[in-house]
Amino acid sequence: MIQSYLTVSVILFCLGIVGVISRRNVFTVFMSIELMLNAANLSFVALARLHESMDGHVLALMVMAVAAAEAALALAVVILLHKHKGKLDTNVFSLLKG
Amino acid sequence: MFADGLFILFTVFAVVGAAGLVLFKHPMNGAMSFVVTLIALAGLYALLNAKLIFAIQLIVYAGAIMSLIIFIIMFLNIQEEDLPAEEGRFKYLIGGVIVVAPVGMLLTKAVNSLPGSEATIAGAGFGGVKEVGVKLFTEWLLPFEIVSILLLVSLVGAVVLAGKRGTNK
Repeated sequence: MIQSYLTVSVILFCLGIVGVISRRNVFTVFMSIELMLNAANLSFVALARLHESMDGHVLALMVMAVAAAEAALALAVVILLHKHKGKLDTNVFSLLKG
Repeated sequence: MFADGLFILFTVFAVVGAAGLVLFKHPMNGAMSFVVTLIALAGLYALLNAKLIFAIQLIVYAGAIMSLIIFIIMFLNIQEEDLPAEEGRFKYLIGGVIVVAPVGMLLTKAVNSLPGSEATIAGAGFGGVKEVGVKLFTEWLLPFEIVSILLLVSLVGAVVLAGKRGTNK
């Protein structure tokens, strides 16, 4: 029973990795990262159900808070980069390459 | 059984939504299909007796975070010609699947070798607001405070980054 939930989590996580490494639209990349966070959350909650302990739920709450903080900051950076470059392509955002 | 049917339904919705997120060209379509994934995940949490996480997933994730993302996508007013070309998108997608598939298979195998877990009945208060709250404010108090500082820092950072009122840009 728990194994099937964890398998769903693995599938979602792999889809998130595929989205990050194969897409160039910055919003799609960002939402793929959110998808990976959600997959990790699902595995936390499933394992909390397996062990009947509540720690996994608290950890899932923490992950959601971190995701909210990340969303606020990342979207601010996206707005700034869009103002500077007028593009949404992650290949254009290579300012740190030197 | 009813719960198994619901599990299959939510799983199909979650995976199809995630695949849509990866495959759609326009980020707005991707965001809409990601909302489907998030709501299906909330259903999976409900099947796992996580009542508080179910509510928070719907309110915070599908509600707040996704409306923030969709708001920004609409705010930037993205047209078709603003999107990156991504000519070889499907080539990259197939390459990504080939790279990730072994990892996924390894993880699935590891997951399925976990010690057996028959469907047990969860305790009466499992996953309720009171139980999670007691846990959060006793054993997890320090991480909770650190998360509050993190949210404050990200709030100030977002205002400083996106505001930029003083400098003449």
